[in-house]
Amino acid sequence: MGKTALVVDDSRTMRQMVAFTLTNAGFTVIEAEDGKDAVKKVAGGGKLDIVVTDLNMPEMDGITLIKELRKLASFKFTPILMLTTESAMEKKQEGKAAGATGWIVKPFNPEILLKTIAKVLPV
Amino acid sequence: MSNDFAQFQDAFFDEVAEHLAIVEEGLLALEQHPEDRDLLNKIFRSAHSIKGGAGMFGFTAVSQFTHKMETLLDLLRNGQKAVTPVVADLLLKSTDCLKTLIDSTKSGAAVDDDVVQQLTTELASESAGGASAGSAGEKENKPAQTAAAGSHGETRYAIKWTPPDWLFQRGLDPLQIMKELKALGALTDVTMDLSRLPDLAGIDPERCYLSWSMTLSTAKDVKAIEHVFEFVREDSKLSIEAQTVAGSESHVASQYPQYETQHQQPETLDAGPKPLGAILVESGMVTPAALDQALAQQKKVGEILVEQKVVTPQQVEQALQKQRQQESATHAKKSDTASIRVDTAKIDKLINLVGELVITQSMLSDLGMRFEMGQLHVLLERMAELERNTREIQERVMSIRMLPIGTAFSRFPRLVRDLSAKAGKKIQLVLSGEETELDKTVIESIGDPLTHLVRNSADHGLEGPDERLDNNKPEVGTIRLNAFHAGGNICITVEDDGRGLNRDKIVAKAIKQGLVGENDKLTDAQIWPLIFKPGFSTAEKITDVSGRGVGMDVVKRNIEALGGTVTIKTEQGKGTTFTLNLPLTLAIIEGMTVRIGQETYIVPLLSILESVQPKDGVVKTVVGKGELINVRGTYLPVIRLYEVFALTPEHTVPTKAILLILETEGERVAVMVDEILGQQQVVIKSMEQNFRKVEGIAGATILGDGTVGFILDVRGLLEIARRDTAVAA
Repeated sequence: MGKTALVVDDSRTMRQMVAFTLTNAGFTVIEAEDGKDAVKKVAGGGKLDIVVTDLNMPEMDGITLIKELRKLASFKFTPILMLTTESAMEKKQEGKAAGATGWIVKPFNPEILLKTIAKVLPV
Repeated sequence: MSNDFAQFQDAFFDEVAEHLAIVEEGLLALEQHPEDRDLLNKIFRSAHSIKGGAGMFGFTAVSQFTHKMETLLDLLRNGQKAVTPVVADLLLKSTDCLKTLIDSTKSGAAVDDDVVQQLTTELASESAGGASAGSAGEKENKPAQTAAAGSHGETRYAIKWTPPDWLFQRGLDPLQIMKELKALGALTDVTMDLSRLPDLAGIDPERCYLSWSMTLSTAKDVKAIEHVFEFVREDSKLSIEAQTVAGSESHVASQYPQYETQHQQPETLDAGPKPLGAILVESGMVTPAALDQALAQQKKVGEILVEQKVVTPQQVEQALQKQRQQESATHAKKSDTASIRVDTAKIDKLINLVGELVITQSMLSDLGMRFEMGQLHVLLERMAELERNTREIQERVMSIRMLPIGTAFSRFPRLVRDLSAKAGKKIQLVLSGEETELDKTVIESIGDPLTHLVRNSADHGLEGPDERLDNNKPEVGTIRLNAFHAGGNICITVEDDGRGLNRDKIVAKAIKQGLVGENDKLTDAQIWPLIFKPGFSTAEKITDVSGRGVGMDVVKRNIEALGGTVTIKTEQGKGTTFTLNLPLTLAIIEGMTVRIGQETYIVPLLSILESVQPKDGVVKTVVGKGELINVRGTYLPVIRLYEVFALTPEHTVPTKAILLILETEGERVAVMVDEILGQQQVVIKSMEQNFRKVEGIAGATILGDGTVGFILDVRGLLEIARRDTAVAA
């Protein structure tokens, strides 16, 4: 069975690049352009295997999205990766406190993206 | 490979253009509302997205510069620094600079490094001048580590790991970590420590009470192992002890080593095979220094040919010049390729319509197979259906190229801001009708003419604040830009409430330039268009902005090149309105079909003034001027189309034929044809793309009967007329 990923980023290009890489790796990808959009898209239920989200977004930022998702029963243990340019610790800490599984530091290449995802994907 | 992302570059540049517009608009709005935190956040996010994307593609110059802007923006949005005019100005200038940087990244053109440097310094000092600016320090990418230590075989590591108890709540799975470790080498002696497990009643199933110890034999170094624990290391108790196979020596890995994600620069596209030198260096046969030395001795082809006296140095220089031109042409071409973002709904609708078209087509071919005369009405019905489908598809496809004109208007708030500052006037800009849609090509081409008109209004049209107050006008002058549909055309108006055109000044200047006679009685409608004549300017002093007499003629020429017209309405002391009338699209024109002998030609309807059947004696041949026709006292050159296109006409005598009076760019010419057939919309097919440029022909189209008809190029016909008379003279 193919796995499903939710990709959240307000930057169209960035979102497309992540989605492209994941689609090529056999994922079914759902795209959302900010936190609010993401919450709306997962509201219908359905199984998700991984979430990759940007942090800095309009409407609802990544940290809030992670908190919101963790509140949902179906997202309690789903791996959530944050895409961040800040290698700054504060953002990572904030994300971890909110329940993020891990992070990918921008800029990244497809290989690193897939490796990091493989690292947290449920066995 | 990172090359995978290269295909997203165009999409990235599109997105950057949007972000730049947001940043610029935002900064302009910020000057009015310096306290608007939402606005600052929006600007910051756009800058942030540009930086992130640029980083992904390895556009370091762009990402570094944006980073500097972002640092300052961050201080502003956190309230650590106030938005002063100086700061806003600096950010606007930086936005311009960023635009140049991005354009140069796109086209490969050179950038003025001094400007970039200076702005970088200014941004940095402005950021430092703020409160605790030090926090936004730079992070340097450390080169990624190489696995060097693995040479003396495998090392055994004793690993002890106590994860944080909230491990599961972050979606982390210990099993996953074991799997990763196993991928590094042989994982043995995995022991789970249950000692922290509370009584059954006290267990929270979502918490992790377990810890592990294990042995890993691997050729990889400590860093690779730590990397496995990347996301939990800081919160775990983790010890990794290396035991050499001898077993005596051991060391504890540091607790928090910094790990940096490895980033590979995207390689250039179409890299092709490596040069020979590079391969020799790689294989260790040659040192890089030796290679450089050898390359330095290598002569250029041109030099060798000159030495052998095959060519002269001048010829080489010419060839090099040609090469440079081609290079810059390809650069220019590159930046010209563009994409359109289309609403998926539009495409879905289109696909639906194509489906209907296919159905109608199959019904028709079905009918054709076993057609009897009795079914004629069915056939006609189907044909009507087909026509409806086709027309609808045509409309839908055209709408894909349609963009709101707002994209062309968006540059004006900034322009007017700068102009008003420069001219010391108070100007407000009012935009309306931004949502009016028109063809993308038209939008791209009207930017410059509109800019000229707005500049003209700001500089000549509007008065200074004192003069305005003296004339009982509000101190702040207004420039209005409006766009709306009118029939099959689009109207764009540029209106100011300034002093209006000065009739006397224009007439005086026109007399001085010999454009009109001193005693000519002229109506307003004849006077205002004079300002479109080349070199015509009544401005008393030439300013930085306008008044050199270049501009208005260019405006008119550009608009006419698009098949549009410019009209002027003005009232002394009240203001001036320029109205641009433009076709919705360039791909389809209204044409008049005419016949010459057996051939059908199309004349653009917009350029036809009238058609006449001349009486005897109206057409005369004048020495040095060729054939002329007298139309109500004005003599116009006559072009016999059959001569230009070498056809056999029905009539060679003007009194039997029909003369079309055509006008373009203010010049008129009479064109002789056999018959006027009718009026129809024609789709222009490019001659250059399908054949080659033909003088006097603007393009071709497929006519109703399936034959090809040529569309006349009125401009080109005028050239022909001028040249022929010159030759005749």
